[in-house]
Amino acid sequence: MEKITNFFNTFLLLELVKGMALTGRHFFARKITVQFPEEKTPQSFRFRGLHAQRRYANGEERCIGCKLCEAVCPALAIHIEVAERADGTRRTTRYDIDLLKCIFCGFCEESCPVDAIVETRILEYHGEKRGDLYYTKPMLLALGDKHEAQIAKDRAADAKYR
Amino acid sequence: MAIIEIDGKRVEIENGRTVIEAAHLAGIYIPHFCYHKKLSIAANCRMCLVQVEKMPKPVPACATPVADGMKVFTSSEMAVKAQMGVMEFLLINHPLDCPVCDQGGECELQDQAVGYGASASRYQEEKRMVVHKDIGPLVCAEEMSRCINCTRCVRFGQEIAGMMELGQAFRGEHAEIMAFVDGTVNSELSGNMIDLCPVGALTSKPFRYTARNWELSRRKSVSPHDGLGSSLAVQVKNNRVLRVLPVENEAINECWLSDKDRFSYEGLNSGERLTMPMIRQEGKWNEVAWPVALEYVANALSQVANCAGAGEVGALATPHSTLEELYLLQKLMRGLGSHNIDFRLRQSDFSADGKQAGVPWLGMPVAEINTRDRLLIVGSFLRKDHPLLAQRIRQAVKKGAQASIVHSADDDLLMKVANKAIVAPDALTNVLAQILKALAQEKQVAVDASVQGITVGSAAAAIANSLAGGERVAVLLGNFAQQHPQAAQLQLLAQQIAALCGGSFGFLGEAANSVGGYLANALPGANGMNAAAMLAAPRKAYVLLNAEPELDCANSQQALSAMNAADLVVVLSAYKHHALDYANVLLPIAPFSETSGTFISTEGRVQSFKGAVKPLGEARPAWKVMRVLGNLLDFAGFDYDSSEAVRDEALAGMDVSAQLNNTLNRTEQTTAPHSAPSPQPPVLAVFQRVAEVPIYSTDAVVRRAVALQKTRDAAAPRVMLRSEELKKIGVSPGDQVKVSQGENSVQMAVAADDNLPNGVARVAAGHAATAGLGAMFGILTVERA
Repeated sequence: MEKITNFFNTFLLLELVKGMALTGRHFFARKITVQFPEEKTPQSFRFRGLHAQRRYANGEERCIGCKLCEAVCPALAIHIEVAERADGTRRTTRYDIDLLKCIFCGFCEESCPVDAIVETRILEYHGEKRGDLYYTKPMLLALGDKHEAQIAKDRAADAKYR
Repeated sequence: MAIIEIDGKRVEIENGRTVIEAAHLAGIYIPHFCYHKKLSIAANCRMCLVQVEKMPKPVPACATPVADGMKVFTSSEMAVKAQMGVMEFLLINHPLDCPVCDQGGECELQDQAVGYGASASRYQEEKRMVVHKDIGPLVCAEEMSRCINCTRCVRFGQEIAGMMELGQAFRGEHAEIMAFVDGTVNSELSGNMIDLCPVGALTSKPFRYTARNWELSRRKSVSPHDGLGSSLAVQVKNNRVLRVLPVENEAINECWLSDKDRFSYEGLNSGERLTMPMIRQEGKWNEVAWPVALEYVANALSQVANCAGAGEVGALATPHSTLEELYLLQKLMRGLGSHNIDFRLRQSDFSADGKQAGVPWLGMPVAEINTRDRLLIVGSFLRKDHPLLAQRIRQAVKKGAQASIVHSADDDLLMKVANKAIVAPDALTNVLAQILKALAQEKQVAVDASVQGITVGSAAAAIANSLAGGERVAVLLGNFAQQHPQAAQLQLLAQQIAALCGGSFGFLGEAANSVGGYLANALPGANGMNAAAMLAAPRKAYVLLNAEPELDCANSQQALSAMNAADLVVVLSAYKHHALDYANVLLPIAPFSETSGTFISTEGRVQSFKGAVKPLGEARPAWKVMRVLGNLLDFAGFDYDSSEAVRDEALAGMDVSAQLNNTLNRTEQTTAPHSAPSPQPPVLAVFQRVAEVPIYSTDAVVRRAVALQKTRDAAAPRVMLRSEELKKIGVSPGDQVKVSQGENSVQMAVAADDNLPNGVARVAAGHAATAGLGAMFGILTVERA
């Protein structure tokens, strides 16, 4: 009996038809390939890309140098130095993130009590020489200033889940 | 004894103790804020509520005495509910600003809120706001809203420091901790309030915002300042000492630390640190490499020793140097053939040398001070010279001991002083002789021949009476008595007094290694010159170890002129200091935090410690520097691998405790008549100098501690005179006067102090402002500037 089935399967090229059917299905299915960089994949508002530091609306930097992000960072990518500013507030004098060490886990963002350090949707960045991916406080603040509208929108979208 | 049961565990504890103590004995933790084992019970935080069987309501464990058969539940439903409720109340007015709070990470409130609090707050209303205060340069009270009113700081001030500088004002919701009107906290123990504060209300000002506690590594060390040798935890980040905390050690510092020990670390990071060896060539200072500097020193020293004789080389070290450093320094000097070495730089009477039976020490373990019932303290600025020993004596006095004082200044010791005899420095021996005579009469023993002719005054009689009534007597000689020109006589009299009462007799060691210096044999011996002789008869070459002669020596001007006249001055110092004017070579050495070493405390405790951080710049541990110098000079026995090897050689076969002996053998010289001083010549404006070394000027590290130098205790010294004597000179407090001692004079402000004896001018030593004067004891003239 088995011999007969095998004979007909081989004779009628059933396997080939099955394979071609799969090919055909994909041939006519909707394409999901994204033509990067002309096209981009959609991103979640929780996307964890390049870091940025935010300011309040009055221009005051949010970061108060509590060092929780530094403490929680599993890759030891954050380095902070803190001092008392002339007005008596606690501020960072240095806030560096080594993006080569960073694993983009988002713990820094999660631990921040004032939403100062955030991970933006930016994923296209590069460094040309050693040290280019060592981001300092002015660089992070500049990023924050540039993308504040998007960052604020994303935080608002995420707020109800926090 | 009561047997109680806590959470099912049986605990046996003496009657009268509290439930919280029993729980800690059983290893059960009860949350608490206001309770502290060294302070009185306040029971005002209510955090330690526990359930006790047959009691209708939860009770505070810290204020509930144990009773036999008691059953306590610390985590029953009732107890947990009570703790939750208390925590919610405590957090109602707490700002929850942990991210900016310096206490964050080491905060009792934070920890206990996690352990015993709810996960979210139900409180929506406005929080209380307390205005911040400025209470001085050491303790920061900038965020008093964080205060939970446990009153630990208040009780510390009242009970331990002896003065209430913080208090709780107003009532109910308006209650707040504050200093007196425009008052600051000036206690020499104020830093302990920072440790005591369970929240971030009182924090350290010098440490403010510098680091989080989880970033700091903690290294054990020993205090390099006073003779007590407190146990320190030096906290380090990035090879920098950022904070110093006490390590609990019941035998030495309990859980306290004096401000000097706590805040002096700022001096370790001072900009004045010497980081490269320097040689002066043709009047200019050049930084050189170590081999060059060491070669230079070895050549120069051997040249002086060979050409002018080894006796022309002298070495002066401070007693703040480690045992290893002192031992190698004396070995180096003896290798050169010179016996001129001394570490007792502020001493002026060396007549006891060679007659001491052993090494002068405290005469008893530190912890025993609390158990004494009669204390006679001779010549000591007790609170400022020995803050924590003073605290122990304060506790003894509280328990009923009688403390008597014989001194030349009447500072407030913040304790009840039973009797005091405040006399001019030259009358100190006479007063002790009076006490000795009165005591002999009281005890009905033969009066010593040397004090036969003395007339006993009422103060001395009262002191003798107090001493005679004691069972455990201690006679203690302070720094002032040790620096006194008749120190040996004072010692002999004190020894006789102690012997008559069957008590112990001892010295309050001036510096961390006052005992160690003797054991290291950093002494001239019979063939050498002591510190005073070396400076009185200037040598051609000096080696200075940690010493700043114009500040550390008994006679600052004499020391300075000896340095200026010398052909060669080799300075081993952690700092660039005045030596730039007269030295030829500066060798950067490591302070206590950067070297391993040993201090032997005033109770004879040998405490070795390791370096907490790497030496700054090119600085090197002094023992290594001297080892290489020994090698360069081809001396035998300078091949040490470690400071431990040096220590073991220095203390080889030595039983330290057997070496400690305060007995002074009697000789003709030491039993000179103790006649009453002749009445003051009726010359106007001539005074005997009473010189203390201000608490924050005692050694090189403290002098450079920025925050300590801003305290009231570090204010520029003034001449203190009795007010009638001020009138006689025709000046009023605050005026500038010219103070002269011999041909030296300085200008400074004058102030009135009516507690001084007649004919005495109190002018601090060890301070740049008075370095222009001469000896710490002597005659001063004060006149209108």
